[in-house]
Amino acid sequence: MTAASSAAAAATLPRRGPWGIGRYDVAGQPVFFEVGWDDWQRDVAWARALLAGHGVGPVKGDGPGGTGGGSPPCVEKVGGGLVIVSGMPESPWFDPFETAARELGAPYSIGEIYAFEAFRTGLYTRRLPVTMVFGMDRTVAEGLGDELAEVVARVPVIVARPDAAGLLAAAGGRPFIVARVGPAIAVECPQRSGAHLNGNEWSLAERGGDLFISTAGPRAHQVREAPLGLRGALTDGPCGCGRTGQRVTISEGA
Amino acid sequence: MPRARIAALQEERILELVPYVYERSALVRRKWEEARVKPSDINSLADFTERVPFITKDDIRQFRDQAQDPFGGLLCTDYADTTTVFSTSGTTGDATLYAHAWDRWHPFWATTARDLWEIGVRPGDYVLGSGFKMRGPLYHADQMVGAIPVLVNTGIGGWATALDAIRRYRPVYAQLTGLALAELDHLSRTTDLREVFSSFKGAAFAGEPLGARARAQLESWGVEVYLWTSTGDVTGAWECGQHDGCHAWEDCVLLEAVDPAGTGPVADGELGELVATSLDNPVTPMVRFRSDDIIRMTRQPCACGRTHARFWPVGRKGDETIVAGRSFVPMDIWRALEDVPETATALFQLVRPAREIDELKVRVGYDPDITTSVPDLRDRVSEAITAAVGVPPVLELVPEPELLARGRGGKLPRVVKS
Repeated sequence: MTAASSAAAAATLPRRGPWGIGRYDVAGQPVFFEVGWDDWQRDVAWARALLAGHGVGPVKGDGPGGTGGGSPPCVEKVGGGLVIVSGMPESPWFDPFETAARELGAPYSIGEIYAFEAFRTGLYTRRLPVTMVFGMDRTVAEGLGDELAEVVARVPVIVARPDAAGLLAAAGGRPFIVARVGPAIAVECPQRSGAHLNGNEWSLAERGGDLFISTAGPRAHQVREAPLGLRGALTDGPCGCGRTGQRVTISEGA
Repeated sequence: MPRARIAALQEERILELVPYVYERSALVRRKWEEARVKPSDINSLADFTERVPFITKDDIRQFRDQAQDPFGGLLCTDYADTTTVFSTSGTTGDATLYAHAWDRWHPFWATTARDLWEIGVRPGDYVLGSGFKMRGPLYHADQMVGAIPVLVNTGIGGWATALDAIRRYRPVYAQLTGLALAELDHLSRTTDLREVFSSFKGAAFAGEPLGARARAQLESWGVEVYLWTSTGDVTGAWECGQHDGCHAWEDCVLLEAVDPAGTGPVADGELGELVATSLDNPVTPMVRFRSDDIIRMTRQPCACGRTHARFWPVGRKGDETIVAGRSFVPMDIWRALEDVPETATALFQLVRPAREIDELKVRVGYDPDITTSVPDLRDRVSEAITAAVGVPPVLELVPEPELLARGRGGKLPRVVKS
């Protein structure tokens, strides 16, 4: 056997139950939720379209090392590498983007969301031809310290959590936004007109600035007008990127 | 599988690997040219272990810096053909990058799926999807087995909520680290952990040695703990139900135990340095990689029936410290601290600018909730360490939360320069 044949054998095992269980908090109260395998596949497809819209795709040109090795990195000639900043418990939201990057042919690395792991995000952007950091949060932005400005200068596209946007702007960046919205995730497209929600799966309502979420698709996790403990604003209607449906701007939290 | 068949399989894969890496890995080619070894010189497993030069972590770093190659000359494919680039924990220095190419499941975790099966994880079981992602999505191992990962925070400060998830989903397995055990130790004062963990078939522990007190504590909670470790960053090696050494998966890795101060093999069961060669990684294969891990290894069959090599981790090469002519290893301090209630979680760092030092500086974490007098604690800790290593320490006592914050990747660097 090999590792690959073990994985192939594992693929034949019965799959009883969902892809996994996640957890989000509403006003300090935990809400556990299932992500089904079908849910996950649709999330991957949606993530793939969003990343492709930001130019994520196969690496172009000569890369560092490899095939005879030792060739110097040609950062100006290559593109497509990602650092996805997320923690293990955030996998229900971020795994679809990891899978989408792989399906798009873009090598990805993972920078964890903990302060002591901030160095890893810096390390990848320093050593690899990374063209996107996806998911940077305030903890990592602060943890990078003086290197944050270097990361901003090195990486063409940074998609950040709302709590990191100010720090990145102060460091000279102009980040796009990605936000966890209860069990859903919202991501800004290159038009910068609010973070898109997958309208086939979820819908948001806003009352007095408070956000509420409902399930719109055939997901394992069904909620109706559930308060999110988040404040924000909604935009409807067509976006310049061609998508229709809701876009959200989170004013705090997420 | 009989040993002879394992050896034959390894020889077949090594003879495929030799021309492959010589052609593609710049570091391998450089090292082999320096040693005047050519692929045509290697016609058997014996040729390989006798003639092929070792590669050290310093070799990789040096090549990386000289050639401006982030992969240190290890990458055997085009960067464009890789899927993921992950890295080692970086606990003992610069993290090393490893690339993989894969489709559905990350191959690094494929052997882990076999180990989960050994523990008793089965399709439809819930497992606590804990740990870190620095080496990729660990929950792929859970999903390969057909289990359902419950993905909650089991990092520092996360266990109170993780216990909610355990009560709700009754998982059969979790991955634990030393830092997690420190937190569970505190929670055990207010929570019946035996009841909480009653659904568990086992828990894995990795990252650093498991002290005797911690093991006894896990057993008191009814948790059967399976130690695992890395085989030179090639695969994992896990205990089986016999808990008599960590089993390597020798279809994926060629393991050697060599003289830590030399190049020759050591006898079965003797102390040696773990040397690993990847047998099924075409992207960044390690070739005779000296891991700096000191082990005892045997190829005697295990009582569980498995014939793959087993080993017992002993420590890290270079962890041996000499103070005033006396030699000791960090585990000696570990055991001493476990006997003092306020420091029983054994969170400590040996502050050592060099291997030979004039005074023994130890940074020790203490539990502020049960510490009534720091000066009194200082006296007792000093006495315990002096009794263990024969040298009175210079102590820096810090509250546990402060020391936990210095952890990285679920573990605390035990030997630091400052």
